[in-house]
Amino acid sequence: MTRLVGRGVPRVDGRAKVTGAARYAADNEIAGVLHGFLVMSTIARGEVREIDPSAALAHPGVVAVYTHADMRTLTVPGFPYNRTFIPMQDTRVHYSGQPVAYVVAETLEQAQEAANLVRVRYRAEPPVARLADAPDEPFLPEGFRADQPTETVRGDAATALEQAEVRLERTYGSPMQHHNPIEPHTTTAVWDGETVTLHESTQGVVFTRNVVSAVFGLPPADVRVVSQYLGGGFGAKGPVYPHTLLTVEVARLARRPVKLVLSRAQMYTSNGHRSEFRNHVRLGATRRGTLTAVIGTSTAQVTRTDERTFNTNDSAVNLYACPNIHVRQLGVRLDLPTSGYMRSPETTAHFGLETAMDELSYEIGIDPVQLRMRNLRPTDPQNGRHTASRHLPACYRMAANAFGWKWRNPLPGTTRDGDEYIGWGMATETHSHNAIRSTVALTIGLDGRATLRTATQDIGTGTYTVLTQVAADELGMPLGQVTTLLGDTAFPDASLSAGSSTVPSVVGPVADAAQGARDRVIALATTDPRSPLHGVPAEDVDTEGGRLFARGDRHRSDSYRDVLTRHGRPVETRSHVENTRGHSFGAVFVEVRVQPRLGTVRVSRVAAAYDLGRVLNHRTARGQVIGGVTWGIGFALMEHTAVDPNTARVVNPNLSTYLVPVSADTPSVDVAFVDQPDSGSNALGARGFGETPGTGVPAAIGNAIYHATGRRIRDVPFTQDKLL
Amino acid sequence: MRAFGYTIAGSPAEAVRIAARIPNSTFVAGGTDLLNRMRDGAESHEHLVDVNGLDLDDVSADSGTLHIGALARMRQVAEHPTVRREFPVVAEALLASASPQVRNMAAIGGNLLQRTRCGYFRDAHAACNKRVPGSGCSALEGHNRSHAILGGSDHCIATHPSDLAVALTALDATVHLLGPDGERSVPISEFYLLPGSTPERETPMRPGELITRVDVPRTSVTARSRYLKLRDRATFEFAVVSVAAALRNRGRVVQDVRLAFGGVGTRPWRDTRVEAALRGRPLSRHTIARAGRTLVRDAKPYEGNEFKVELVQRALESVLGALGDVR
Repeated sequence: MTRLVGRGVPRVDGRAKVTGAARYAADNEIAGVLHGFLVMSTIARGEVREIDPSAALAHPGVVAVYTHADMRTLTVPGFPYNRTFIPMQDTRVHYSGQPVAYVVAETLEQAQEAANLVRVRYRAEPPVARLADAPDEPFLPEGFRADQPTETVRGDAATALEQAEVRLERTYGSPMQHHNPIEPHTTTAVWDGETVTLHESTQGVVFTRNVVSAVFGLPPADVRVVSQYLGGGFGAKGPVYPHTLLTVEVARLARRPVKLVLSRAQMYTSNGHRSEFRNHVRLGATRRGTLTAVIGTSTAQVTRTDERTFNTNDSAVNLYACPNIHVRQLGVRLDLPTSGYMRSPETTAHFGLETAMDELSYEIGIDPVQLRMRNLRPTDPQNGRHTASRHLPACYRMAANAFGWKWRNPLPGTTRDGDEYIGWGMATETHSHNAIRSTVALTIGLDGRATLRTATQDIGTGTYTVLTQVAADELGMPLGQVTTLLGDTAFPDASLSAGSSTVPSVVGPVADAAQGARDRVIALATTDPRSPLHGVPAEDVDTEGGRLFARGDRHRSDSYRDVLTRHGRPVETRSHVENTRGHSFGAVFVEVRVQPRLGTVRVSRVAAAYDLGRVLNHRTARGQVIGGVTWGIGFALMEHTAVDPNTARVVNPNLSTYLVPVSADTPSVDVAFVDQPDSGSNALGARGFGETPGTGVPAAIGNAIYHATGRRIRDVPFTQDKLL
Repeated sequence: MRAFGYTIAGSPAEAVRIAARIPNSTFVAGGTDLLNRMRDGAESHEHLVDVNGLDLDDVSADSGTLHIGALARMRQVAEHPTVRREFPVVAEALLASASPQVRNMAAIGGNLLQRTRCGYFRDAHAACNKRVPGSGCSALEGHNRSHAILGGSDHCIATHPSDLAVALTALDATVHLLGPDGERSVPISEFYLLPGSTPERETPMRPGELITRVDVPRTSVTARSRYLKLRDRATFEFAVVSVAAALRNRGRVVQDVRLAFGGVGTRPWRDTRVEAALRGRPLSRHTIARAGRTLVRDAKPYEGNEFKVELVQRALESVLGALGDVR
């Protein structure tokens, strides 16, 4: 019987978070810890000629200044380490803001000031900072992940486009963006003999452990990574980044624990970013609006050392039922840090596709929802399931009804309220989700309380709550009788919390382990002559509220606590259940108010509906939508990292000048869920969802601006200068 | 951030005495900008003199003048009934500034002395003549969307970020200073210097001088005044373009008008020729447009801020249109 799953159960860790009891990675207090601070390169390309640490070493409290000369040769690991080199292994500088020296001191303030006192001389070469400035042609890099190829071909898109009744060709662009989680990246490395423990802000304790183990040649069991709470990651804490590895090595050299917290400014070069992006989209369609060709050629930034791109053009391949597809993801080498995944990576290309679909709807003269309905895909090409987008029509219908879409006059520039022009736009929301092999351990103690242990982590999305709901329901216990422990590699290996993979990966094993434990306890009771349930067939025993009942005779009952006490030993189960990758879907409708004379845009209404399979917790799912839509508004209206074209240094590395939306930019969001279990997912019918909401918002806002004004802007952010 | 000395001043005279005695010292009140500049390495000081305890936070009005103590907090001034009723442009400029938290902390004196948000000024490793004289100006050929189209030089095109200063410039405020040599006052029109070849010098304040008070004369235009701020997000952001406007007209004819502009000049920008183009004439789309063209006649735009030439004229049209009910 389900009582908790599906409800909007408040966060089980909410009280700990608001009272400050929750311990984030940098909240540890370790005896004898040294504070680290990185000295970053001030040039983007060239070589370190000389490092003079003398003034820094003379500063009070400074213990050491480490440079490349002090470091052992470390093994460059593969994915999820994201670069092809480790800084401070040699003198080469590949980007501005690359670590070149590492100061350790007794206090953070001493380390910071000493870092300012380290004198570095460089031999500088002129860098290239923007796609438009690159002297070389974009090239097709080799995909670095088998599941994310840089080229996809289906049918014959070139011929189909040539023969199409309607053709559309447009280029869309977006700038570099940064994640800006409110918690800065932090690592504390504590060596004990040949083993090391890391207190780390990470979206994947297991991934971090594996990378550290590979770099330092340590058995995985000798590396422990702990990350109990995370103050936001958004992809910036998914891969493992150099500062973590350097801290581990510096702690070894210093023979003391070392704590590093990146400054806000350092986070603009230390942990990836969304690449500057161009997306050349060509669509071919029939006059009725059936897509016959989709050709997408995107260009992203890569580096001179590294060819990885991170913004797959997934929706062009998978969303609509077009027989002829050709998608390519080109790279241009720039003197910037390697980019990375950023919530939600597929938004970057999807903005182009969903804007092009809107443009096509006007070319053909049909409603943009109708155009999408005509191109629905019956199966998910990634796993062949028939159900993937089965409920997408319901999403369009639910969101359109909530929004009042049927009242829309399609003619641009026709609806006014005083000086403001009102525009309505929509887009499909979709993102892939991953599934990663995960194991969980569940123990019911002599006190009858259950403890779940698994080395996934809660990155702020509600994982503690949802897993506790699932375990409590399967065990038949109240929520408070189950404790979920996450974020520690001392627990069984489990999913990275990125790629929307936590729920699809971990919920199945949790449910299975809990069912296993319940069955074991039922068997203990029904075979124990001292139990009131002795002799009742196991299949006739129900569990509820922490008690076991004979079905049909609820006076015959026992409790977990009594069964376990008599048994005298805890009951332990382990489980892993593998799930499959897939997609989640939705539709978002947006109203904007534009003052065309002044170029101002305000998002005044948002309505959205989603199919994510079964909704495990309406409150946390809604939280994902609010967060995702807010990200979408930021992507559309303001976010951009300014990189100086001459020095390739970030000009706005702070939250004062890198703008993200404030409350006044974000209206409340009308959210609906289809909430039908996906029979193809063994996570109680739930799919991964976190990255789906927001993917369509930038296009929906741009489409609404077009509807308001007749102006089509194809480059985000939609700032005043572009609207005048 | 470098280590620095710190004294809590007991009186204005003591504050000035200490600041004049210790080279490279400065005053700190709310600290909302100063501490960020020090953390970013844009600025360093040997010594901070904390003036928060000084009795300079009074806001009062007599028949002719609004007196704003230098240590009054932004929120306190913005919510003051006389300011709201009789100097609305001042209240609106303050409420359009920063965030509630910052407005609770930040003092009026510090608001007037906050420094440019130019990213190159704030980056200790970028070339910036304002921070390191002679090092060059990265903004001329770099990111200059937020920079000035008026009053710039080959050495600096950074804008002044204060909204309040724009409103006070429109209303002919006077800045009162206390220094080692006693008191003096500076009209706000002379308080902010053009960058010329010395962009590091932003005001005529002498070492050790402390702003004690700002006086705003009450005139026939102050009560009918507005502040329009255009920016890249709804709140908590500096102006892309802003206009402080005060207007008195008889029928449609402009009797008096005061205009100052933010986000477009290297200092809070006032050009009396713009006002002269309107005074004595009927307020219409035509006369406003002519005034706008006068404003940008000497504009020197750069790659990233060319749009401001048009936007500031439209902002002027919008604010005067609303104040003068021009349809």
